[in-house]
Amino acid sequence: MPNITLSGVSKSYGGGDHAVRNLDLVVPDGAFMCLLGPSGCGKTTTLRMIAGLEQPTTGTIAVGGRTLDSVEQGIYVPPEKRAMGLVFQNYALWPHLSVRENVEFGLRMRKVPGPERRSRAAEALKMVHVETAMDRYPSQLSGGQQQRVALARMLAVNPAVLLLDEPLSNLDARLRLEMRAELKRIHEESGATIVFVTHDQLEALTMATDVAVMSDGELQQLAAPMEMYARPANRFVAEFVGSPPMAIVDAGPAPAGLAASLLRFVRSRDTRAVPAAVGIRPEALRLGAPPGSAWSEEALVEAVLPAGSSWTVRLRVLDTELYALSYTPVRAAPGDVITCWAEQLHLFDADGSRISSWDRSEVSA
Amino acid sequence: MAVVTKTEPPPRPPRRRRLRYRLQVMRHDPTAALGLILVVLLAYLVVAPLVAVLSDAVRLQYGDDVHTGQQPGEWTGYYLWRVFRSRISTLLFWEPLLNTLVVAVGTTAFALVLGGGMAWLVSRTNVPGRRWLAGALVVPYMLPSWTFSLAWLSLFKNERAGGQIGFLQAHGIRTPDWLAYGALPIIITLGLHYYPFVLLLVGNALRRIDAQLEDSARILGAPRRTVVRRIVVPLMLPALSSAVLLVVGRVLGTFGTPYVLGLPVDYRVLSTGLFQSIRDRSTGVASVLATVIVIIGVLIVFTDMRLMREQRRFVTVGGKGAMDRPADLRRWRRPACALGLLVFAVSVLVPVLTLLLSTVTRTPLDLSTFTLDYWIAERLPGAVGFPHGVLRGSELWEAAWNSLRIVGLAALICAILGLLIGYVVVRGTAPRIAGFLRQVSFLPYLIPGIAFAAASLSLFAVARGPVPALYGTTFLLVLVMAVTHLPYSSRSGIAAMIQLGREPEEAAQIAGASWWQRMRRIIFPIQKGALVTGIVLPFISGLKELSIVIMLTTTGTQLLTTLSIGLVDYGYTQLANAVVLMIALLSFTMTSLTQRLTKSSLASGLGG
Repeated sequence: MPNITLSGVSKSYGGGDHAVRNLDLVVPDGAFMCLLGPSGCGKTTTLRMIAGLEQPTTGTIAVGGRTLDSVEQGIYVPPEKRAMGLVFQNYALWPHLSVRENVEFGLRMRKVPGPERRSRAAEALKMVHVETAMDRYPSQLSGGQQQRVALARMLAVNPAVLLLDEPLSNLDARLRLEMRAELKRIHEESGATIVFVTHDQLEALTMATDVAVMSDGELQQLAAPMEMYARPANRFVAEFVGSPPMAIVDAGPAPAGLAASLLRFVRSRDTRAVPAAVGIRPEALRLGAPPGSAWSEEALVEAVLPAGSSWTVRLRVLDTELYALSYTPVRAAPGDVITCWAEQLHLFDADGSRISSWDRSEVSA
Repeated sequence: MAVVTKTEPPPRPPRRRRLRYRLQVMRHDPTAALGLILVVLLAYLVVAPLVAVLSDAVRLQYGDDVHTGQQPGEWTGYYLWRVFRSRISTLLFWEPLLNTLVVAVGTTAFALVLGGGMAWLVSRTNVPGRRWLAGALVVPYMLPSWTFSLAWLSLFKNERAGGQIGFLQAHGIRTPDWLAYGALPIIITLGLHYYPFVLLLVGNALRRIDAQLEDSARILGAPRRTVVRRIVVPLMLPALSSAVLLVVGRVLGTFGTPYVLGLPVDYRVLSTGLFQSIRDRSTGVASVLATVIVIIGVLIVFTDMRLMREQRRFVTVGGKGAMDRPADLRRWRRPACALGLLVFAVSVLVPVLTLLLSTVTRTPLDLSTFTLDYWIAERLPGAVGFPHGVLRGSELWEAAWNSLRIVGLAALICAILGLLIGYVVVRGTAPRIAGFLRQVSFLPYLIPGIAFAAASLSLFAVARGPVPALYGTTFLLVLVMAVTHLPYSSRSGIAAMIQLGREPEEAAQIAGASWWQRMRRIIFPIQKGALVTGIVLPFISGLKELSIVIMLTTTGTQLLTTLSIGLVDYGYTQLANAVVLMIALLSFTMTSLTQRLTKSSLASGLGG
């Protein structure tokens, strides 16, 4: 199975703004890579460039050592010769063809003989559990079924590279959960290299082996999902990954209030540290008696928002509003003053890059 | 772990390299090449004729050198002078212009009163049989516009012009010239043809007005009359102004009716004046007139678009509240219905029956002189140019075959061009090409057909470069007809392609389909429906077309419409009526069939 290499890839429309800027990215062989970012960050453009549906302004794209795109060398392989699979956000099933014909289309293009074509199409449909809808037309299917047919259409040709453009975004919550597991299974069974575009960090964290966070056409961080969560490379990643998002307190030239309190604590642990900002994830902000080594402060409870399995608490700590996420029942009521403490702090320098984090159990750099 | 901070975009590779890469891409994706071909084609078929007619208007034509002392081909103001300032300019231009204005204003007022009233009746009242009326009152628009003028002549013609006299005259009632020919009959017959146009536009707008807006006003204490004056009429203004301008635009380019009813008393409008100049071979003057018509046409459509844009600001038209709550006419229900039926009778039954009876009676409409000779006689005494019934001999069948062949081919070309333009626009690989295609394919909409035909004649009548003279060929007819209908088909093609989006094609591309395979197996099969409507609508409108073809046909390429006008010229009234009846029948059947089959409304074919 091939790896995908993008080197120095940029894409601009009409010479103006860059949709993708100088992207270097290697998707390892057999990886399940998630391109994660807010809308307009260039992730879909990147995916479409890999598919060959759009062309880079500069740079090289290669799959398994074969150059597919090189502006510098004047090489371009059209999408129909790249032998990849792509599932569109809106599925793009052909309305005039039945489910079976939709799935068989790719095989027909590859001149696979009739009997084999039928059996492979049936197999693919079986894999995604829509074999009963074989002779129906796309308009007669539910959204979930359409999504599965789109997947089957791609799987039938057994491509070595699978590209998925937000394929789950049009599904309801339950189906989405189901399809996530399904995609993970398909990845394991086929062993294909998968590139998956999403703006949903939960999807990225649950399915991917590697996550590439993009913003403004640039790669922000490339890491394994939990690594990304634990050590966000910069403020953008820190705020984008995690829900509710990390609170980041800017120190400013004359730190006061919460910022001053946090800085005092950080300096007391490491005298050389000069962070410009300190971040706290809501789930790392704990309520109650602090263990001796942690940062702690008095907090005024402003609101308690129960959500079934968790509780979100809005606190006012010194001059600043912070959210704490608790997985145990919160007994405080609005107006109470309680103690809160941080299990983990993230330190950022002046241009927003991560310096280090302070963890209650270990101090890492 | 890759951590990237903001970097400057890398330098672009040298232009030559980029070009090489682009060529590679183009080799595999012919969209850009296709777009380029379409651009050249449209530039040649749409823009070049306009340039040619403009240049003919200011350059000396062969044969006019004796008048001016200039060499042919030199720049000259001679034609401008001749049309606008010379002794004959009253005859050439000012009088036809005045007549055109009179006809346009009269027709518009007539159509507005009739169409607006009927629109209100069928869309906002509980008149009995309103649904039937709504369909029936559109029928006049399906008939060729000059059907009415022939019917008028059959009733009111006097002995001033040659050929059979009309019904009244035959029964001893003298019809004065002002009743038989000229402004009044032209206004009435054109009005009868164009009121459905107003009915459709205004009816649509009336149906879309939110009933809650009226309710609010009434709850606030406004009497019914005030509601109409202060709420309904202002909301109707965009549709009304649009209807007015479009009717004026159509009247400007219409040829058949003013020709049939105006010629006997020398009542000229711009379109017939243009035709006359072309027939007299005064190309320079014709070019000036054509240019004037083009300019007026463009101004009208621009004004319309401008008004629409401005008025869109206050059109609140909310979909949900648009309840169908008709006004109760109470004891006026029956009279209102009778009025609707009367309009239908006057605009459909009377003209069609008059035409029909005139073709089967020797003395107009006198059934005691019943005869089928005009249809089937082998020999018609006295008719030298057409000495037999219309169904005999080869003339009718040849013309019908020509109509079918030429209009059909034009419609097919039109529909395919429309879809291809839509395809290039939606693929969006070349935004500048797409913009050009969008605008230029819309351009013929601005230009009255007769002026566009004159422009095409300027370009194609003589051999230019490698292109031989095309005058008199079916090829030219097909081209011009296809181009004049292009606005509708390119609009519907673009709409169809936008609705489809690029993804189905891209999915096929990913699945390994080459461009031809994508076209053949994905795009065209999905767009089958759009293609069929794209063929049928131009086909129907082309069958009735006279203004465009009248200048381009020769005896060898007679169409049904020009055959009928030719028979009028000879004074063979009954034969002309018979031919026009067949066109009307053909166009009516096809329109209603299409409407039933594709559920597309006639309104979409109007381009209004």
